[in-house]
This record gives sequence, structure tokens and C-alpha cells, in this order.
Amino acid sequence: MSLLVLWLRDMLSRIFDKVDLPLLLALLALMLVSLTVQASAGSGDSRMVLAQGARFAVGLLAMVMISRVSPARLRTWTPLVFGLTLALMPVVFAVGSGRSARLWINLGLFYLQPGELLKLSVPMMVAWYLNSTPLPPGWKTLSVCALIIGVPSGLIIIQPDLGTGLLVGASGAFAIYLAGLAWWRIGLFAGLGLASLPVAWQFLHDYQKNRILTFLNPENDPLGTGWNIIQSKIAIGSGGLTGKGWGQGTQAHLDFLPEHTTDFAFSVFAEEWGWVGVLLIFAIYLFIIGRSLWIAANARDTYARLLSGALAMTFSVYVLVNGGMVAGLLPVVGVPMPLISYGGTSAVSLLAGFGIIMSAQAHRKYIGR
Amino acid sequence: MKPLGRRQLKNPQVEAEQFRRRAALGVIGIAIALLGLASGYFRLQVLQHEEYQTRSEQNRIKLRPIVPARGLIYDRNGELLADNVSAYRLELVPEQVGDVKATLAALSGLIALTPEDLRRFEGTRRVSRRFLPVTLKLRLSEQEVARLAVNRHRFPGVDVVPYLTRRYLHGDLFAHVIGYVSRLDEDDLKELGDERYSALTHVGKSGIERAYEQRLRGSIGYEEVETNVQGRSLRVLRRHDAKPGEDLRLSIDAKVQGAVVEAFGEQNGSAVAVDPNTGEVLALVSLPSFDANLFVNGISHVDYNALTGDISRPLFNRVVQGGTPPGSTLKPFVALAGLESGMRKTGDKTLSTGEFYLPGVSRGFRDSHAGGHGWVDLRESIAQSVNTYYYKLAMDMGIDSFDRYLLRYGFGRKTGIDLGSEGVGVLPSPAWKRQRFNQPWYAGDTVNAAIGQGMWLVTPLQLAQGTATLADDGIRRPLRLVHASRTGFLGTWNNQPLLPSENIGASAFNLGEVKAGMVAVVHGPTGTARAIGIGAPYLIAGKTGTAQRISRKGNISHDPRSLPLSQRHQALFIAYAPADAPRIAVAVVVEHGGFGATAAAPIVRKAMDAYLVKPDTPPAVFASKPAASATAPVDPPRPKASESTPMPARPAQ
Repeated sequence: MSLLVLWLRDMLSRIFDKVDLPLLLALLALMLVSLTVQASAGSGDSRMVLAQGARFAVGLLAMVMISRVSPARLRTWTPLVFGLTLALMPVVFAVGSGRSARLWINLGLFYLQPGELLKLSVPMMVAWYLNSTPLPPGWKTLSVCALIIGVPSGLIIIQPDLGTGLLVGASGAFAIYLAGLAWWRIGLFAGLGLASLPVAWQFLHDYQKNRILTFLNPENDPLGTGWNIIQSKIAIGSGGLTGKGWGQGTQAHLDFLPEHTTDFAFSVFAEEWGWVGVLLIFAIYLFIIGRSLWIAANARDTYARLLSGALAMTFSVYVLVNGGMVAGLLPVVGVPMPLISYGGTSAVSLLAGFGIIMSAQAHRKYIGR
Repeated sequence: MKPLGRRQLKNPQVEAEQFRRRAALGVIGIAIALLGLASGYFRLQVLQHEEYQTRSEQNRIKLRPIVPARGLIYDRNGELLADNVSAYRLELVPEQVGDVKATLAALSGLIALTPEDLRRFEGTRRVSRRFLPVTLKLRLSEQEVARLAVNRHRFPGVDVVPYLTRRYLHGDLFAHVIGYVSRLDEDDLKELGDERYSALTHVGKSGIERAYEQRLRGSIGYEEVETNVQGRSLRVLRRHDAKPGEDLRLSIDAKVQGAVVEAFGEQNGSAVAVDPNTGEVLALVSLPSFDANLFVNGISHVDYNALTGDISRPLFNRVVQGGTPPGSTLKPFVALAGLESGMRKTGDKTLSTGEFYLPGVSRGFRDSHAGGHGWVDLRESIAQSVNTYYYKLAMDMGIDSFDRYLLRYGFGRKTGIDLGSEGVGVLPSPAWKRQRFNQPWYAGDTVNAAIGQGMWLVTPLQLAQGTATLADDGIRRPLRLVHASRTGFLGTWNNQPLLPSENIGASAFNLGEVKAGMVAVVHGPTGTARAIGIGAPYLIAGKTGTAQRISRKGNISHDPRSLPLSQRHQALFIAYAPADAPRIAVAVVVEHGGFGATAAAPIVRKAMDAYLVKPDTPPAVFASKPAASATAPVDPPRPKASESTPMPARPAQ
């Protein structure tokens, strides 16, 4: 009997020995919150909870498997992975499906969203390239990086999926920032970016322009896009300090709040758990980001360091953009609250990213000094 | 790619140090941003909590759609044909009901619930959210409403809701004109492209209801309503008024329509009556018909299967989509083409021997009389319907020239009527035959085409329009059903603008000759429809026709009455009256009706009497209805439409 227990413990430790326990616990806490939010927002429809649970299981499996791949091996695979994921983009243009944009490839068993894969492979490729060049990056390095980042994120933006495109772009940019890009260059790029905003505006789709205009004045369109923001703010605001209690959020339950299982899931949480709950979630997110950057800083080579760091910082963009959007502090962009909003590919790709970070942690000892 | 640059070498220690600084800065930046976000939430959730609490808990603002009343439909004399009646439906809010099964059982003691009601209710309930109302039964009777009102305290979450439903006052008389509305479904919503339209209960599915859907519907409005926690409305904050649907006054004359249907009796077929001066349709009949009211509140499976299973196809609109060979009713148009093309002068005579042979072909083409009609000119060829005259004329013209003229007269083209999915029939041509059957064109095809047989198909609309075109001296007017419209009950009627008409380019002299032939059909000593002219207080110009359903085998001559019903000929008659100042043009097709003169012509006469003589007693179909037109103004007589500018003739193909 005890032998069986020992054997089981041994197996589990072999499987999970590369997993970072503090990070795993924090992630599990978020997933638990997500399932309770789905259970409440779905009004007792257990299918949503089960489906989300299944996606988490797939994501966790991917995380454990990737955590066992050493960063060195991952690095050698990087150009191939990048090439393959980029090659999927023309496919999605040709045979993709989606409600308003062609984002998905139907693989029969599930839908694949190449944009989500690029969220991983673009920072991988940037880190791979920066790993082989002298740092901090100069103009030549920067122009190669601009190609690696610009082509995929440009393709995603014209799909059109502005949210994912910006996240992919950000993940690459963070790698460059962490590589030590000179501050005056950062300032220059920021200035150029601001100056090009009026030009970029011309290229936005009408619905994207509407979202920004509505953000500036939600009362403009109280029945259309503004409705979401107004109702989301009412949900959050009426939650108060301690919230209405789990399952008591009337805004979502009475159908005032649209998209309350996906993009606006966090408003449901804020309504039911109040500001205290919001703070707790933010603390968990901050812990996850901090822990990930700590792991990155101790990674064994530049590749693992930059990749882990970029993934961790991109994660923060999700939180800030979605958190700001549902509270009416930022325009509505289709970015989910990571691991809380309902949605498969995003949860899986996020957890796979944490697999990479955990791998960097597990393999830090074998630094080839 | 070289791992190392030429000038700079990588320095792992420096890079790691650099990274640490940047990561630390990153964490600090993110922490500050999160703090900012948290303070944003603090403002919403703590500082402004009271305000949002109020908006959420006590005063939830709901948008309640305002559905405008659907426009009414009248006939040209102001007789009401379609209106809206208030009805009550029973709704349940599952969340408030609690035990739905027990409630249904208790309710079925009070009102009649069919298995179909229950099935539909269960279906909707499964996909709808628990706090939203689900309709259990439409059109409650007065007793049911009263019984529910008394027992209301027993049924929390059960509501009796008033709504407007469509009513067709003459169920099947106008089913193929007005069409019907039926319950809005998912596809309709997608087409409308706005979720707010889910508040509409009905949408036009066929006929005028569909073609004029947008104008009849109006536009939906909404009001912002304060509701309490239970969802009960407290007060209306703001109202965005709905725009009511337009009332339509059709050009249809209910009296003429009724007279035609009555004249058909038990027979099937179709009829169209048109005012040649405007192109307005006075009657549009397709028989058998169906009760349009069946569709309004969801047709039952039994009723629907009965309609679709009927071999005489009551749902099929014969006037708009049907097609029949025109037979001899085509002859006036062919005669006109002969004159216009210069192939014939009015005095030219052709010898009819009873048989016509093409060189080298042993099978003959025959006249209606064995032995023939002797030497006949144009007028007699129309009056007696002499086939040989047209066989030779078409052979002299050639099929291309023949088609060019008949296309100009409107055959093979849409009449432009304001109903959807109008058919164009078939104008036989070598190109069409090659495309359809992949066969070459034979001289015999031209001979058949000359008398409206063979591949020919025309819609009753085309025949009526063609007749009206002859009557109105060659002005071809687009047909239309809507005469005028108004917005709101107190609005003034605005006449529909006339659509541009076209001139078929026939000379007045030639038209006069053809028309004289048509008058001779009814009033001449040899005319094929002499019987209907007897006792008419006006002159009628017409043409009989009989369309073959089966081709003649060998030399056996058939008595049409010996054929099985499905293979009998179609009887046709086209006519206009009064011949000297035409006010009505009619085309009638009687299915399996034997000969045009005996089956179709009397129906035409009834239609003309109803319109021109204006009998004091309404036709029997209205006998059961009280006269509803007492308050409606009588349509003022319209001047001959001189405002429509004749267009130049269509260029030949």
C-alpha cells in the first residue's frame, strides 16, 4: 500500500518537478475565480463551467509539458515555430471563419486562432534574435526586430483583430525594452507613435472608430456600444466595497450587461465581490507578474530571460486593458481578462506561456557557465 | 546570421544586470498602473457607489420597444381589406413562476391549451433566459381573459399581454394580392439587422404585405422605462416615438374582384383586370385561393399540409408566377406585328383550306374548322381566329422579326407590377430553344409560335398588360397595385407617382385595324365570342383563345371534353371595354376549361359589368359583410393620364 503511495508521489514529482509551485497556486486561484464567475454569470448553466474547466485542463497539460522542455531546446526550435505560426496567417485569410472578422481555422475538433499562437512565437523569435546580437540593440538590430514584430501583428490587425494585434506587437516590444533599449530611443519611438495616431485613425474600421468615439462619450450611443460601457459601470459601481455576494449580481442576471461571460466577465466579478475582491484579484495578478519577472531575471541565458520577461509583461497588458475597458477608463478593445474571461484559445496560450516561464525557472541551475 | 557582431561583443553579466534593472522598473510601472486602475475602481465602487447603486437597484432603466401599428390596406373605393385587431396573449416568466409544470396544469383547467401550444412553449423556454417572458398562447378568447383576470392572484409570473394582430376581412378573396403576414422568425431578424425588431410580432411574407413591408411596418420606437427590482415599470423617462406604418389604398376594386371570383364558380384559373389609362390593376384573381388569416398566428401542421398537398396548388400565385401558352389570344398582337413590319396590308387576303403544309413536311397544321374559312383578310382572321392566316404571316416574317415585335409588345418581359418574384414566361426563339433543349429551330416551331402554341408561355399579367396596351393606343404602362398611401388615419392620401410608360411604336391606323378585328370577335356576325356581346350596354373588343396542354398525335382530332381533366385545354379570353373609350382591360385563363369563348369570355363580361355598370347590389361574396365603406371617400374619377410622357419605342434587339 505504502509502496503504491510512494510510487504515485514519485510519478507526480517527476511530472511536476519542473513546475513552479507559487506560480501554479496563483494561477489555480485565478482559474477557481473564473469558474465561480462563469457559474454565476451563466445563471446555473453548468455547460459553460464544464467547458471552461476542460479548457483549463488542456491549458494546464500544455503548461506542464512545455515546462519540461529546456529553454535551450526551445531556442533551437524557435525559428521553425515562428515560421509555422506565421504561415498559418495566409491560411486563416483563405479559409478562416468568425463573426465579424476571419480569425479562426476550423480544425474539426476545435477552432484554432493563429493570432493566439503568434502571441507566443513572436516574443520567442525576438528573444532568439536578440540572444545572438550585442545588447543593448542598435539600429540594425531594431530594424530586424521591427520586421519580426511588424509583419505578424500587421497581418492580425488587418484581419481585423486590433486587440490581438496590439498584444502581439506589445509582446515583441517588451522583449526589446527588457533587452535594454536606450531610453532616448524609447522616447523617440513613443513620440513617433503619438505623431502617427491621426494617420492610424484613417486605417481603423468603422466599428473600431465607433468604439473609441463611444469611449470618449458613452452617452452618444446609449443603445449601441455605449450601452455595454454604461451597464458595465453600473455593475461595477453597484458592487460597492464588499459586493452583492456570489450569484447576486443583478446587472448580469437581468441581462443588462452584454458579453458578461467573455469580455465583461470581470464586471460580474466586481459587482458580486466588490472593491475588496477587485483588490484581491489585482494582488494575485501582480504576484504572478512579479514572480514571473523574478524567474526571468534569474534565467540562465538571454533568450530565456527576454522571453519570460516579455510574456510576463504582456500578461500585465491584458489585465490593465481589460480592467480599464470594463470600468470605462479605456476604449472597448477585444481583450479578455486573462484566465477569468470565458474563452478557450486565450486560456491555453496563456498557460502555455507560463509553461515557458516555469521551464526557465526549472532549468536555471544548468547554466552553462 | 552571425552570433557576434564585429565591433561589439556580447557581455552576459552586463546583459543580465541590464535586464534586472529593466524588469524591476517594469514591475514598478505595472504596480503603479494597477494601483491607478484600483483607484479607478475605488472611485466607481466606493465614492460613486450610491449613484450606481441607485441606478442598479431602485431605478433600472429598461428600454421598452414601441411597436407601431401596421398600415391598413383598402381597396380603391375605400373598402377595408386588412386591419389590425387587438388581441391578448398569455405569457409566463419562468423564474417568477417557480414550479412551471404545476402552473401549466393549473392553467389548463382555465383555458384551452393545445399540445402544439405546449410544444412551442417548451421549445422557446429552453432557449430563452429564465427571467424573460415566454409566450404560452396567442389570441386568448374574451372568456379566457376574464377567467385569468379573476384567478390572477393564484399565478404569480403569469401575465395577459395585449398586442395587435393582423386580420384579413375577406379571408381568401385577396390572398394572392395582399398576401399575408406571419410570425417573425430568426431569419427575418437577421434580414432586419436590428435586435430591437424582435419586438415585432409579425412580418410580411407574401404579396403586398411583403412587397410594401417597409412602408406598412413603419419604424419601431422605444421608451426608456424605470423599473423596480421586480421588473415592474414605474414611469416612462423618455420616449422616442415610433413612426406608424403607411396605410395603402390598392387599385383593386373589391366589387370587380368579387364578381370575377363569383363568375369562376368551382373552376380554377386566373384573371387580371387593368385600367388601360393608368396601368392600375382592378382585379387579380388566382384560384383556388386560401384563407390568409390561417398564417397570421402560426398555421397548424394539419392546415399547412392540406394546402401544400392539394394538387391544384392553392398557394401558387398563377397570375404572377404561372404561365400558359396564350393560344389564339396572341393573334391580335401577331396581326399588329404583320402590319407594322409591312408584311401585310389590311386588305391582303389569305386562303384558308383547313390544312396548312410546310414544304417537305407531311404533317399538317390545321384550322379550327375542317375545310377552312376561305379567303380572309386581317379583320376576319381575328374575328374567326383563322390559324392559316397566321401560319403564313409568321413564315413570311421569319422568327427573328416576329420575336422582335412581340418582345416590344411586352411578351417575355416583366410587366413591372409591384409584387415580388414576377415571372416573364417564354417568348419562343431559336436562342431560347437551343439553351433550354439544345435543339435547332425548325420551321414548324415558327408555325406553332404564330398561334401562341408550342414553347410559348405568358403570364396572365402579360396578357392583361398587352390588352391594355392595345386599348390605350400602344402605350405600355407598368402594372401596379397600390393607388395611394397615407401616413396616419388623419393623413391625406397621396397618389403613387406614375411610373414612366413606353410607346410600342405602332401606327394609329394599324392599331385601329387590329382593334376593329377584336370588336368583330364580340359584335361581328362571324365572331367567336358573339355570345357575350348580347345585351352589353357597351362595345367590347376581345379575342378568344384555347391553349393546348398536349400536342396533337397524328391526324386524330380531339374533342377536348373527352380528355382527362389534367390534359384539357386552357380556355383564355382577353378583352377591353368600352371599345370606343376603354376603361377596363381583362385577361382570363380558365384551367381545363375547354374553349375560350364558352368558359373564359363570360367571366370577362361579369368583370366588365361589375366595373362599368356598377350594379346596386354587391356581389354575393360580400353579402355576409356589412358595408364598411360608408365613411370612406369615393375615389374621384381620374383623368386620362396625359402626364405620363410616352417613351420612344424600345430599340429592336
